[in-house]
Amino acid sequence: MSVDPRFIRNFSIIAHIDHGKSTLSDRILELTGTVASRDMQAQLLDSMDIERERGITIKSQAVRVDYQADDGNTYHFNLIDTPGHVDFTYEVSRSLAACEGAVCVVDATQGVEAQTVANCMMAMNADLEIIPLINKIDLPAAEPERVKTEIEDGLALPAEDVVMASGKTGEGVHDLLEAVVYNVPAPEGDPNAPLRALIFDSYFDAYRGVVALIRIVDGSIRKGQTIRMMATNTEAVVEEVGVRRPSEVPAKELGVGEVGYLVTGLKDPSKVKVGDTITLPVGGCSDPLPGYRDVKPMVFTGLFPIDADQYEPLKDALERLSLNDPALIWEPETSHALGFGFRVGFLGLLHMEVIKERLEREFNLDLLATAPSVEYNVYLKNGEMISLHSPQDMPDPSAIDHVEEPFLKAKILIPPDYIGAVMDLTCARRGEFKTMNYLGMQTVEMLWEMPLSELIMDYFDQLKSRTKGYASLDYDFDCYKPSKLVKLDILLSGKAIDALSFIVHEDKAYDQGRVLCEKLKDIIPRQQFEVPIQAAVGSRILARQTVRAMRKDVLAKCYGGDISRKRKLLEAQRKGKKRMKAIGNVEVPQEAFMAILKVDE
Amino acid sequence: MASSSTNASGYKASDDMRGLVSSSLSTSTPSPCGWCLSSSTSGGEVRELRPIWQLDEGFEPYRALYLHLPFCRKRCAYCDFVTEAASPDDPRLDAYVDQLVADIRAASAAGALAHIETVYLGGGTPSFFGLKRLCRLMYELSLCMRLEPEIECTMEANPDSLTLPMVRDLFALGVTRISLGVQSFDDDELRLLGRIHDAQAALRAIDLALERFDHVSIDLMCGLPGQHLETFERSLDRALSTGVDHISIYPLTIEEGTPLDHLVEKGLIPTPDDDLAADMMDLAACKCTEAGFRRYEVASYARPGGESRHNQAYWTGVPYLGLGRGAVGMKQSSDCRIRYDQEGIIEELDEAQRLVEDLMLGMRRSVGVAADDVIAACLVVPDAWEIFEALVDDGFAAYRDGRFVPTERGWLLGNVMYGRILDLAP
Repeated sequence: MSVDPRFIRNFSIIAHIDHGKSTLSDRILELTGTVASRDMQAQLLDSMDIERERGITIKSQAVRVDYQADDGNTYHFNLIDTPGHVDFTYEVSRSLAACEGAVCVVDATQGVEAQTVANCMMAMNADLEIIPLINKIDLPAAEPERVKTEIEDGLALPAEDVVMASGKTGEGVHDLLEAVVYNVPAPEGDPNAPLRALIFDSYFDAYRGVVALIRIVDGSIRKGQTIRMMATNTEAVVEEVGVRRPSEVPAKELGVGEVGYLVTGLKDPSKVKVGDTITLPVGGCSDPLPGYRDVKPMVFTGLFPIDADQYEPLKDALERLSLNDPALIWEPETSHALGFGFRVGFLGLLHMEVIKERLEREFNLDLLATAPSVEYNVYLKNGEMISLHSPQDMPDPSAIDHVEEPFLKAKILIPPDYIGAVMDLTCARRGEFKTMNYLGMQTVEMLWEMPLSELIMDYFDQLKSRTKGYASLDYDFDCYKPSKLVKLDILLSGKAIDALSFIVHEDKAYDQGRVLCEKLKDIIPRQQFEVPIQAAVGSRILARQTVRAMRKDVLAKCYGGDISRKRKLLEAQRKGKKRMKAIGNVEVPQEAFMAILKVDE
Repeated sequence: MASSSTNASGYKASDDMRGLVSSSLSTSTPSPCGWCLSSSTSGGEVRELRPIWQLDEGFEPYRALYLHLPFCRKRCAYCDFVTEAASPDDPRLDAYVDQLVADIRAASAAGALAHIETVYLGGGTPSFFGLKRLCRLMYELSLCMRLEPEIECTMEANPDSLTLPMVRDLFALGVTRISLGVQSFDDDELRLLGRIHDAQAALRAIDLALERFDHVSIDLMCGLPGQHLETFERSLDRALSTGVDHISIYPLTIEEGTPLDHLVEKGLIPTPDDDLAADMMDLAACKCTEAGFRRYEVASYARPGGESRHNQAYWTGVPYLGLGRGAVGMKQSSDCRIRYDQEGIIEELDEAQRLVEDLMLGMRRSVGVAADDVIAACLVVPDAWEIFEALVDDGFAAYRDGRFVPTERGWLLGNVMYGRILDLAP
């Protein structure tokens, strides 16, 4: 028998990164006795090592918590932990669609930030009841009153609704749980209508196939039933349903308003897409739940094994990772300079970093990554359009009619003092200023339109450093627009190195070429011969530097014990060389491929 | 190593293992050079503690002896050797010499000193130990081995602690050669290196040493932070005008964790310029040759007959016994070469690695490597000939009179050349 929807509360916790979302979730699990203190592990819902280490949430989680409320009733809370980073905006929106309420966590020391606003807007658009919560009130630097004003001005939430809490000490968590009972509406749905359920996340289990996290909107789902995924038009038999507490507890069925997991036995993760609607193959619902979209990667990079023998292992690793990460797409790529590798598409820079780190750590691969790029639409004179993922595939300029690149709507929140700094930086990045709003006295929201290609070039780090860490950023894809773009080539010893090419706005080509040559001169170690470095657009050389030939490289002493030491040093040197890529006869260290990111204005 | 224990040896066996020391070893206390357990061949139950330097059957006899004296008045800014600062009356110095003497006796009793042709007292600063302790050490050594005039016996000394009585007495006790750690004749450079002497003291010490010794060597450094070609040239000129018959000239290596390294890391002193160091090495080669010195190894210059026989032993695959804390020894049989210190085996080379090492060491010397040796090596490392030909093609080596000899470029880019040779048998 499924649970009475009147006693169900489905809610998410949303926050800007680092505002203490996961710690607060931990306290809720502890306070409701869902997890005994002795089994408590910090940031329990972040199951990946990388999530815990970096303090970010990448995958969504759903956990069932039983709460004995002050009114004497026991409520079933489904707490859905969502990714906090802008790369995962779509995933967040689907998790929110599975809820009736959201707790919006704001750090008492940091105040409202860009993703607080963005996530809050998303929650409001999803018609959720929002409970504002000021977290970390135990910190000496906490300014709850200021933050309250910001919540009122910036998020348009009434200050008297704000719950004061500390995820660290547990203070205020009880108030929060009561607020959830009274303010978050119980789910509504028709138990007698045909099954309609939302998939808000999925992961791959080697033994059970794809496991989906689902929310039942109408009807119910039980073991043995045949179901259909509407967007992918895939049928499957329900092998198991249940809830997570947070370990999985199988249930006979899941009814209206319930959140749980579903084991399908499907082996192909691409058939179970986040945002898709589950129904019955016969007599199912006619309309899918709104909001589904195909996730498209925004940022692309070439990943090449440093050791060519690791090509197959890299392919296996990418296959393994994409089982759990449908947003990760990849295709083989061949570079004259770097050999065989893959062009890999990511949701954003964080996603890229995390995947690269996992490939290196979990699969023990030595990888070389080329500078990230975006997807360009190249319109040829013959009317054809090419989607360009890799600068090296840029057609000959004479064949190109025009090129379009993706633009973003960027939202930047800063203290007013830094308006000038953000103006300077963002204009230099071809940003177009749109508008500016004051959220309280101490926070300004600036809206910009800027090319994604500029944003992925170290923009966020620059923004942070120029605003002493105060700026927060959120962005959303807007549209493709034509730009005057050219391919800048880097030549080493007179030969163009495809993996170092990048696409740049015509007006910036000269400056970037010059600065990049200077950077590369410092990065590329001296070789036994002179190495000229040139930057060129087409056949026009824009800049030149030279790495002088190495004259001396000697370990002078070689007495009794020095002989072993020398051998060890030479071995270390050999290992160091392994981290470099021999291109022609030039040894190029990995940083060279990322140097373009660090070309400051 | 920074041991503060009063037992000067860094002995690793615990006290209760002493009872296991075989009676065949005439030592009653643990030794600084380490022991290893090995079971005797018969019975298998009788266990015997044997020093790591002990030669099993099939091993070639030691022909060189290195004695390490790891104390200094002050640690120099660039130093990462096994040594520590102490005061001259520190009882650890006496204890250390006691240990070393015991080890020498043990080695002698085991027959390990029977074929020694060269002895080297290095450090640390041997002269810092003072005349009394050094006399004791040399006297004991002369009782344990044939310390005749044809045995080359070098002692390292620092200008501040070498005295005339020391020169006279040590000469009488069998020392034949003094190696002085001069490093530079520029007082600013000496201060930067953290040396406790100045140029004047260095000149005085050279004169003292020359009063008795025909063979006096000095060390000079190039590629120092802030050093100019002119200051280096002045040091060089002074060195060549002193009457020493051996000069070692090597570029400074800034070792990790040394005070000099910290200064460079913090940006307080400039990183030495490699091009300038290369110019200095070129200049040294030129001036020393003009002055009648011959460069017989990449960093060693000698007047005829002034070459260090002990150092050449290191470079020609001669087994050497190392005694004292941190001292490295090498022993070899027909199928393996082992380097060890008191802590245990450092590396064990197979036949290919050993051959390749000899080729590498050969290319540090001006005589280079005989083509026949490279051909012979090809039986074990088939690519050897190809690599040597490539060295010639790339200008690292020249082929002359049936030998591969290093070029100036090969020496300056030594790491590249040696690395390529060692890569034959990694």
